[in-house]
Amino acid sequence: MAQDMRTVLQESRVEQAVMDRYAAEAAKIVGENNISANQADLLSACRDYWPANSIWMREGVFPALPQLVAWPKTTAQVSKLLALANQEKIPVTPYGEGSGALGGVVPLRGGVTIDLKLMNKIRVLDERNLLVTVESGLNGALYEEELNRAGYTGGHFPQSLRCSSVGGWLACRAAGQFSTRYGKIEDMAVSLEAVLPDGTVFSGRKVPRTATGPRVDHLLLGSEGTLGIITSATLRIWPLPEKRHLASYTFEKLESGLEAIRLFMRAGTRPAVVRLYDGQETGNHFPELGDKRCALILLIEGNARLVDAEAEVIDDCVRSEGAESAGAEHVEHWLEKRFNIGVASMLFQKGAVLDTIEVTTNWHNAYTTYLAMQDALLGVEGTMLASGHYSHVYPEGAALYMTVVGFPGGDKISYYKKLWQTAMEACHKEGAAFSHHHGVGLHRGLWMTDEHGSGLEVLKKIKDALDPEGIMNPGKLGLEEVQLWQK
Amino acid sequence: MAEVNMEQLLNCALCPNMCRCECPALQATGREAVAPAGKGRLAALINEGKLNWDEAMLEAASYCLACRGCTIHCPFSELNLCDELLFSRMPARPQGVTLPQVDPYLNNLRKYSSPYGQKSDPVIKTNRPGERAGGEEVIFFNGCTSLANHPPSIEAAASVLLKAGVSFRMTEEDCCGYPALVWGDRELGRQLAEENKRKFAESGATLLVTNCPECWLTFSEYYPDLEQELSLEIIDGPSYFLRLIKEGRLELKEPDPGSSGELGAGVISYHDPCIWARTAGTISEPREILQAIPGLELNEAQPSGSLTRCCGGGSMFQLAFPDTAAAVASRRLKEFPSEAALVTACPFCREGLLQEDRPVLELVEILDRYFK
Ligand SMILES: Cc1cc2nc3c(=O)[nH]c(=O)nc-3n(C[C@H](O)[C@H](O)[C@H](O)COP(=O)(O)OP(=O)(O)OC[C@H]3O[C@@H](n4cnc5c(N)ncnc54)[C@H](O)[C@@H]3O)c2cc1C
Ligand code: SF4
Ligand code: SF4
Repeated sequence: MAQDMRTVLQESRVEQAVMDRYAAEAAKIVGENNISANQADLLSACRDYWPANSIWMREGVFPALPQLVAWPKTTAQVSKLLALANQEKIPVTPYGEGSGALGGVVPLRGGVTIDLKLMNKIRVLDERNLLVTVESGLNGALYEEELNRAGYTGGHFPQSLRCSSVGGWLACRAAGQFSTRYGKIEDMAVSLEAVLPDGTVFSGRKVPRTATGPRVDHLLLGSEGTLGIITSATLRIWPLPEKRHLASYTFEKLESGLEAIRLFMRAGTRPAVVRLYDGQETGNHFPELGDKRCALILLIEGNARLVDAEAEVIDDCVRSEGAESAGAEHVEHWLEKRFNIGVASMLFQKGAVLDTIEVTTNWHNAYTTYLAMQDALLGVEGTMLASGHYSHVYPEGAALYMTVVGFPGGDKISYYKKLWQTAMEACHKEGAAFSHHHGVGLHRGLWMTDEHGSGLEVLKKIKDALDPEGIMNPGKLGLEEVQLWQK
Repeated sequence: MAEVNMEQLLNCALCPNMCRCECPALQATGREAVAPAGKGRLAALINEGKLNWDEAMLEAASYCLACRGCTIHCPFSELNLCDELLFSRMPARPQGVTLPQVDPYLNNLRKYSSPYGQKSDPVIKTNRPGERAGGEEVIFFNGCTSLANHPPSIEAAASVLLKAGVSFRMTEEDCCGYPALVWGDRELGRQLAEENKRKFAESGATLLVTNCPECWLTFSEYYPDLEQELSLEIIDGPSYFLRLIKEGRLELKEPDPGSSGELGAGVISYHDPCIWARTAGTISEPREILQAIPGLELNEAQPSGSLTRCCGGGSMFQLAFPDTAAAVASRRLKEFPSEAALVTACPFCREGLLQEDRPVLELVEILDRYFK
């Protein structure tokens, strides 16, 4: 028997008779065992790792529930499921592994959640062309493991590697910790295969570059399930690196560290990992370094001779900015601990609110954005800590990753909203971009007009053209206002 | 039975599933509800009274193969999710919520002390009259699954023990009680534990050797929880056999002509049963035995050792959820070198891996073939 669930964001639900009809047809498409409307499955597929969900979980409430979950195994099945949903005007929420940080999988209007996890095969490993065609539901760690077995790496290591899917990466324009060498996921994506709401299946050419008009398959990159479902992708791969060089340095000031990075990126080096921490995070992650200096962690890998040359150039650049060498052991420590986020569970359990907010800066505002966002976050009553590091760098700028922890006295959701409001305002004022890799989901939709300007209208027109019935992940990406989640 | 540790369970419920890549239940089904933190969340909410048990919730919370794959990456060293789920499930049955498909097995357990039903007692055949006189030092516990599904492994074990001159007894076994605990019948589990404890005590034996990892786990971890702690030493089969070899009680012999037939060119791969590898820490012992045998070449699965993956047999899955058990096994089978014959040391693993044409042997069968 269904239990009474309190939902806080449910805007509407599809009439049950329509859903029953859809479920009966869906069962014919994917098989009886690959659909479910039982409470355990609905409650579990309704959320991701958006901190608001953790706050609500402690209160025993849910954001919004789907009415059916379906697990297709093939692109053809996805196509049929979508075409049918389109016909019946049933909202569809694609679901990868639910590690999204902004509520992207919350089914505000019920309908069907299409979970891609059974689409989990590597279809082709093309060693000659250094390409792999992989289905979108494959888990990140299992993807990398399978490539490693064949002597390759996918080069993509988000902190959520073990709990996110290839499709989720593409849908959110994810970034891995080794992005400076290998690129963000959109740099690795040569072509996508996707299904539009009307069931049309299309894919791009698996060639390095084209000049035959805009790449329509690339439209799906970062679309977060609002335009269609990514069913597979052809991604770049690399032979496992011959050599790895680890180095760490400390700077008296964060600005000097930033300048050092700017210099070695300008010189053309591309270390895989570049992370520069403020004093507070240096103290937290590397206690032996104390919290008075700022740590820079570097990992260079690839062809042995190239690695040696890069290490030398980088060493020159960082020393010119007054860096002190701190050895390889801090990088080893980071490598060992980089997927450990146990502290988040413990803090939420103790009543804290924790979140991370990543934005993109250019060099001219990289430091001032940090100062402004830190000020803003610390200015919200209840905040205990607001610290930052730069996690991904480019010749033209860097991603800034802020972490905030607060123990709000009153309503946690109000506090949480205030944090974001003030942080996003500070980011906007400094001219930084609102997100580097977590994406928009439900929550960041609030700021998409500020981010895109008139571009948002263009995006809405594209959405209307591809999804005229508006079934795909409604309420996400700031494409429409969500009444229950306002500033 | 131990209480649910809510702090640890909540740590899991609030975790973004950092171990989901290692969870065979999730990987085989794709269901969020059976992802480690998915199960943890449902169990936590039920324990807190925010959700109630229903059959679907119980099924999700039972979708754990007890492989402890989730501990590999877990940041919480004190968290043992499969136990938290097992303890959490206990109140469901008293509330009238059960998994109907396991009822026949539980009935068998009540009636025959084996989930498989009436035991054909191969022990009588293998354990020669001389060894039944009482006063033996060692109890060799085969487990219901070997008794029901693969008596040759019992015969092999008895033969090896006789060769080594061990004073042993194979009791007329009652189930260790594990299935009852897994399926939430704590009282039945306790009764079986009590009965076993009594028999072991009466035997006067000082050492309990378990061939089945799940029996080992139950004797060593759950009996104390049920206040039935055993007073004799408990040891896993592979470690015990290695001990016998090191003591010089078993020696290599020329295999009987034709006896290595199914091993083909002699390339074998050892499948680490999860409990032996991750809980007992028995990883090098079976390999030492296998590597000592001339003509056998050990070729490892990827992954293996403490990173091994479940064969689908854990937690009585082959009985409760046979389709998922088979799906888990077929994923694991892809991780072995294609040309290798498989050797394992668990009756469930043997059963699970027997999906393809390739031979699957138990370690005791290899021992019987190559040692005198
Ligand atoms: C601990 C932790 C660390 C993280 N670290 C990083 C990091 O280092 N770098 C980073 O970039 N992100 C990081 N994230 C965020 C998150 O992991 C990424 O956004 C990831 O790409 C989401 O993948 P997923 O499979 O979990 O997607 P989900 O959460 O399931 O979905 C995310 C969005 O994509 C849509 N979607 C999913 N699959 C498809 C598909 N096949 N087709 C169309 N739409 C789809 C969903 O509808 C949803 O809108 C982290 C998250 C956590 C919890
Ligand atoms: S078992 Fe550990 S790693 Fe896995 S979900 Fe639970 S807390 Fe996270
Ligand atoms: S013990 Fe195994 S099956 Fe159970 S939750 Fe952990 S990984 Fe999954």
